[in-house]
Order: sequence, then structure tokens, then C-alpha cells
Amino acid sequence: MKQNYLELKKLAKSFGKGDETFFAVDHIDLGVKEGDLVTLLGPSGCGKTTTLRMIAGFHTPTSGDVLIDGYSVNNIPPNKRPTAMVFQNYALFPHMTVFENIAYGLRIRKESPEDVRKKVSDIMNLIGLENLEDRQPRQLSGGQQQRVSLARAMVMEPKVLLFDEPLSNLDAKLRVSTRLEIRKLQQRVGITSVYVTHDQEEAMTLSDQVVVMNKGMIEQIGSPSEVYSHPANRFVAGFIGKANFLESVVVKVTDEQIIVSHQGKHIAAPRWDKQLKVNDKVVVVARPESIIPELPSEDLVEGIVADSVYFGSQMLYEVELPDGKVLQIEVADPQYHVQFERGHRVGLSFKDRSLHLLPSEEKKDAL
Amino acid sequence: MKKFKFSNTTRVNDLRKMIGEPFLLLAILVVLYLLIVFVIFPIFQVFKTSLSYEGALSLQNYFDVLSRSYYITPLINSMVLGVIVGTIGTIVGFMFAYAITRTPMKGKGVFRMIATFPMVSPPFVVALACILLFGRSGFFAGAIGNIYGLTGLVIVEVIAYSPTAFLALVGVLHAIDPALEEAAMDCGASRLKIFRTIIFPLATPGLVSAWLLVFIQSLADFGNPMILSGDFAVLSVQAYLQITGMFDLARGSTLAILLLIPTVVAFYLQKYLLSKKSYVTVTGKPTSATIKNLEWYIKAPVYAVCMFFAAVVLLFYGMVVWGSFQKLWGVDSTLTLRNYVQMWKMGKGYIVDSLVISVIVTPITGVLSMFIAYLTTRKQFPGRNFIEFSSMLTFAVPGTVVGIGYILAFNTPSILMPFTLTGTGFIIMILLVFRNLPVGIRNGVAAIQQIDPSIEEASIDLGADSSLTFRKITLPMITPAFFSGLANCFVRSMTAISAIIFVVSGKWNLITVAVLGFVDNSQYAQAAAMSLLLIAIVLIALGLIKLFTDRMGRGMNSSSILE
Repeated sequence: MKQNYLELKKLAKSFGKGDETFFAVDHIDLGVKEGDLVTLLGPSGCGKTTTLRMIAGFHTPTSGDVLIDGYSVNNIPPNKRPTAMVFQNYALFPHMTVFENIAYGLRIRKESPEDVRKKVSDIMNLIGLENLEDRQPRQLSGGQQQRVSLARAMVMEPKVLLFDEPLSNLDAKLRVSTRLEIRKLQQRVGITSVYVTHDQEEAMTLSDQVVVMNKGMIEQIGSPSEVYSHPANRFVAGFIGKANFLESVVVKVTDEQIIVSHQGKHIAAPRWDKQLKVNDKVVVVARPESIIPELPSEDLVEGIVADSVYFGSQMLYEVELPDGKVLQIEVADPQYHVQFERGHRVGLSFKDRSLHLLPSEEKKDAL
Repeated sequence: MKKFKFSNTTRVNDLRKMIGEPFLLLAILVVLYLLIVFVIFPIFQVFKTSLSYEGALSLQNYFDVLSRSYYITPLINSMVLGVIVGTIGTIVGFMFAYAITRTPMKGKGVFRMIATFPMVSPPFVVALACILLFGRSGFFAGAIGNIYGLTGLVIVEVIAYSPTAFLALVGVLHAIDPALEEAAMDCGASRLKIFRTIIFPLATPGLVSAWLLVFIQSLADFGNPMILSGDFAVLSVQAYLQITGMFDLARGSTLAILLLIPTVVAFYLQKYLLSKKSYVTVTGKPTSATIKNLEWYIKAPVYAVCMFFAAVVLLFYGMVVWGSFQKLWGVDSTLTLRNYVQMWKMGKGYIVDSLVISVIVTPITGVLSMFIAYLTTRKQFPGRNFIEFSSMLTFAVPGTVVGIGYILAFNTPSILMPFTLTGTGFIIMILLVFRNLPVGIRNGVAAIQQIDPSIEEASIDLGADSSLTFRKITLPMITPAFFSGLANCFVRSMTAISAIIFVVSGKWNLITVAVLGFVDNSQYAQAAAMSLLLIAIVLIALGLIKLFTDRMGRGMNSSSILE
């Protein structure tokens, strides 16, 4: 197992004083392995950017440590840290050419002019900025500016590369292609990276590990598939993708499966959580694509179609359960399935292997 | 307990960061010292002198002054003058601003230039022109009665200070999106109704702030009332006469404080109004669309006021030019160059002194103001608020008060300043630097605030420390603001009079003082010639600076006060 290259230990940042003290980052622990790309994902105000800026050195932690390659960098000012950041608005120096922008850090490091020229032209070729050396930043498109910003950070060969929502100013199409490029580039160069975003799709497609944050704390750390299929709690399940939550009670535990009862109907789910026992209250997390509407039958959960939208490649349903709860359902390849319309009574079958059980939050509150 | 601990640790952190950058720390300490000695100390001295009576701390001077009509009259007069000039000046400024931003008026560039011209000319030139026009031997002698008094002062100060209101209001009106007017028109409102229900309410905070600015300038004005006030005594002139004529420092200081209080109150009121951010900013990006088909009943009065005002400005300055070539004003109107020759013979020394001092003062002020602007907008350190406050203070304090303060503070050595500065060229230079600092700082702050902080962070992230970042990133980006600050400072140094008149000496004297001397001797033609020379120098310098900025601005927006 690889060592943690970047490590955050009980890292905290608070603002305000006394009773009004507010922890933007609340004592978090995180390890990033060498060459990995980790995304910090969460809603605005969750502390992800603050965390990133503490790694870069722009914020001084209230307490805790940032370790890079085993050494604490707490007392190293940002200009001496082995980190480089790609800024949200690119932060290109408007009075310098593309070449001067990228060469800026190398020149400060007093590298020889030949080295500077070679490194800059190498990185420009790598990133696809050929022939733009003499342009002013304002003569570039948004995508090109973004690349210059990336080149300027990467040319420094930092130990840790930091991304502060770098794609949020690009249009939707460019965002998709650029994030694929970033991922390829990062893997080719093998540079340890921390990437802040609020876009869960971006996080899923880019990362080795996703760190889901909320209210200054880490809710879950895991691979993209882990956080999607085995969310640690309702927040993660709801924030990453869409999720339906069904309050249920465990009625039977086998080696492979746990059978739960929702309003008298049985639903089978894989047994990931070894601790659940019969009669425990649980929440079934069912993704919209894990539910199939069928003709009603005796042992299926029943509901009434409240709305249906046809998309061609998929069909979206909203199905209202007897207790008034509305489930989101997505059916791929609708031509293959029975189609329902508003007002139809349907039975819901659950793809058992795609389901995930969470301990009921009521229980958690009681503790 | 917890509270205390927390604030303490952040302060310790700030301090530790500063100790990490010894250069910065040293620079901050130097700035602090300079501001304390050359801004706070003189004003403190004025307060102290006004509060000491026969060696003891007492309010006696104030009782004395306020119980005699001889002293109360100037106070009331100054206020009355300020209110009248503020009101008329704001109306004229608003009309001009409205015409420039909201109407299809032709020749906007010319109108703009004429409207702002009084700002680059020495403050008392208008008063001189007024004498040439309406004075006892003037062109239209007696046309508006006796000009030595309230009437003359109102005319002259309106011409001199409505440009201030105009510039402030152009910004305000420019920020009101014309789409709002179109929307109101869509809803069926007439142009007059739109004016009443949309433009006027949105511009109100701006109008009040413009009024206060003009009011302050009128109160602080020294040059015009010195020439024109006649029997209509005002505070700034009375304070000066108390000190230079009667050598009564205590009374002079007391009058100065009475002048200081309303000015400072008005200044902070104005700042507060601006900081409250009117709704204007909420309306989003202004479009540059102007209204094409404006009704005649809007156009007519606005155009009339603009043309009348422009004509008056041209008439006044034209009269100065005309007057400078007359053999003997009002008696012999043969054209001659003799006035220029005489002026040059008598005033060469003054001109050289003025130029030398301004050329030295300008770059120092420019660098210092940019540095303070950078410190106060981008750095966190103990004493930041003090620097911000004290560096802007001289802006609010009338020149007369500053001048008296400098006399009181630097006539004798003290712990803060171990040398006697009075009588030297240094005191003039120092005074000008700190008088002109606020304008430069305001320019700098505006420029720096437009730079996204992440651009500086990117530089630091790439290995530059704060001083390198300032030199390589911040400084080049604020260069246009720096040069427009230089232009401003040069103009203000060359045309300054109110504070300067207290610190000039036999050895070091300035053009403005010389002009005032000519006027005093009724040598109006020579005064006119010298004023024109002064204006010419200022315009040439502005042109040079603008040429230079355009060449090196690389297309970045540069704003000069001439635009």
C-alpha cells in the first residue's frame, strides 16, 4: 500500500470570535496517496475551498496540520510551499504574455533562461497551447485561458497540484472535454492533486477518491463507485446523484441478503452492513434507475403514477406511494418496458443488488 | 474569556506574519511615523492651541469667539455661502451630468472639457476674472451690483466647484441603467414622471453626496474669498488674518476649529452615504444606450443651463486672457505684451520655486499614496485602520486649518520632529505631499480593488513573496492609476494656496502666492498673465503625462482628469 503523500491532521479553520465562532473546516483528517487525484465535493459553504486554501497556505489553520511528503508545511508561507494552484477565474496576469505568465514562477526560482524556455515550451506542447506564446491573456478564449492557468501551475512541478473549481467558468460542452483532458494529463504526469468542485458529475469522472464534505466536516471518503453505491448516510446519498429513501424495518437476515419490510411489502437488499439485526429500523436507498414500475401485484410496493416524462432514451416517472411519498424513477430504453401514464396504478420492483441500506437516522438521533 | 483568547491569537498571528516580512514591517512603521507627525500632530496642535487660555486648559477662547458678533458673523457667513453654493453647484452639476449621460446633446466632449476646466486652474482665477468683468473698472462694471461680497462669491464658487458635483454625478447617472427608464416608459410613465419616480430617487444619495462635497469645498475655499469677500467675512480668511495680521494664534486656531468641525462632519456624512451603496449597483451592468427622442421640455432647460454655464466659463477665462494683454485695465485697452515681461521679471523666482517643489513633490506623493493604498486594501496588520483614517484626514480638513497646524507644529523642534521646518522648502514640500496624498490613495484603492486578489495569490503561489508580487504584478497593473495620480498631484501642487500661504517664506515662494500679491496691489493684468502661465504649465504637464501613460498603458484603461 502506498504511503499518504499529502495528509491533513485534525485540520480546522474557524472564523469569528467567542460565541459566534464558526468552524468553516471542523477538524478533518484526510490522506492522499502519491499520484492520486482527490476531489473535495460538497455544497457551497461546506469548507472545501477553505481546506484547499489551507493546503496552499493562503489560510492559516486555526489548529491541526498539513503534511506534504511527511513534513509539516504549517510554517511555510504559500510562496515557499511545494504546491501550485489552478484558480477558478484563472488569475492570469493581464499585463504579461502567455509565455511570461507560464515562465513567471520559473523565473522567480531563478532558473536559467534556457531551462525556462525549454520547460515552458514543453508544457505548452503537452497542454496544447502551441504558437500562443506571444498572446495577451485577453486575446484567448476561456478554454485557452484555463489551459494557460493549468500550464502555469504544472510547469512548477509542484508536489501537490491544487484545483479551485477550475471549470466553473467554461460552458457545458467545454467543461466535459476539459475535465477529461485534465484527468489524462494528471495521470500521465502522475502528479498528486486535490480538486475542489461542487459538481458531482465532475467529481465522479475525475477522481481516484471523492471526499464528500458538508458543514465543515467530511461525510464520506471513497472511490466514485463507493460513494455512489454505498453512501455512508442520507446526505451523501442525496448529494451524489438522485436517491429515494424508504423507511423500513429489517425482517430477515441471511448470509447474502437482508430482507426489509416497507409498509408490509418485502424488499431484498445486499447485506453490506454486517451489524443490522432483525427489527432494526433502516432506510432503503434506491436510485431512480434501480426501481422498475410494473403491473401491480400482491407482493410489490404499490403506487400511482403522478407524472411521466418521455425522453426517448429514458422515461422519468414520479410515483406517489399510499403514504404520500413521491419516488423518482428512471427507466432506460422505455420501448422495451411497459409504459404507464398519469393515474395508472403500478407495482414497484426493486433491483435488489443495486439497493443500499442505511441505519435509520431516528436511531442515530436517539443515541 | 474565550472571546479574548481568540482575538488575541489572531492578532499574534498577524504580528508573526509581519515579522516574517521585515521590509514590510519597517515600511509600515515609517508610514505610521510620517502620518502621526505630518497629519495628526499639526491638527492636534490646532486643537491644543484653541483650548489653552493663559497657559491653562479652557474653553475660554470659544466663549470669547462665540460671544462676539465680530467672530460669529464669519461663521454664519461661511455656512450661508456653503449652503447656497452647494445647492446651486449641485443643480448645475446635475444638469451637466444629465446632459452628458442621458441626452443626445452635440459636442459632449467640448462641454465636458469646459465643465471640468475650472478644476485644473488655480482656484482664484475665477475671482480674478470676476473683478475684470464686474469690478469697479470692469467690462460690465456695476452690472450685478457690488461683487465684493456674497453675490460675487456665489458666482465665483459655483463656477469653481460645480465641476466637482458634475464629476460625482456623471458616475451616479451613468450607473443607472437606461433599461430602467425604458421599462418605466413601457409601463406608461411620461418622461417627467420617469424623472420624478426613477432617476431622481435613484440619484438621491449621489445628489446629497455631491452637495456635501461642494459645501465642503466652499467652506474650505481661501483664494476666492481672499480676493472677493470684501465686507462679507468668512472663516477661512478671518482665521488667516487673525494669525498673519494680529499674530493671535489662539483666536486663529479657534476659528480654524470652528471651520474644521462642519467640514469634517460633512465629509464623514458623505463617506457614509457612499458606503451605504445606493440601489444603483443592484441594477447590474449599465448599457451605453442613450435616449434618442427626448421631449423638448426636458431638453430645453437642460441644454439652456449647459450652454449658459459653458458660456460663462468661457467668458471668465476669456476675460483673463484678454486682460493679460491690456495696457492698463479699464483705462487703456491697447494690446501689449508688457504685462508678461513685467510678470516674468518680478515672478521668475516664484515660478522656478513652484516648479521645483511640484516636480519633487509629485513622484513622492505618487509612490507613497500607492503604497498606502496597497497596504490598506491588501494587508492585515495592527494599525491598518489608523493608517486608513489618518491618510484620508487631510482631505476633509480645510487647508487653512492644516496651514495653521503646520505653523504651530513645526516652528520649534519637538520630540516628534527634532528640526525646525518653518522657513525651509521642506515644510512646503511635506505639506503638499500630505495634502495631496488622499487623492492618490483614492485612485490607488479604486485601481487595486479592481484587481482580483487571486491574481496576486497566483503570484505568491508560484513562489514570489509579497514585495516581489507588488513590484511585478500589482504595480504594473495600477500604473495607469499611478500616472493619473501624478497628474492630479502636480495640478494640485501648482495651484495650491489655502494651506501653503501659511508656510511660504522669503526664500521659498510660489506662483499662487505671487498672483494673490498682484491682485492685492490691483495689478490685475500681471495677475492675469501669471495665472495664464500657471494654467499653461499645468496643461503642458498634463499633456506630457497623458502622452506617457498612453504609450505605456498597453491599452489598459487610463483615466486622466482631463478626459
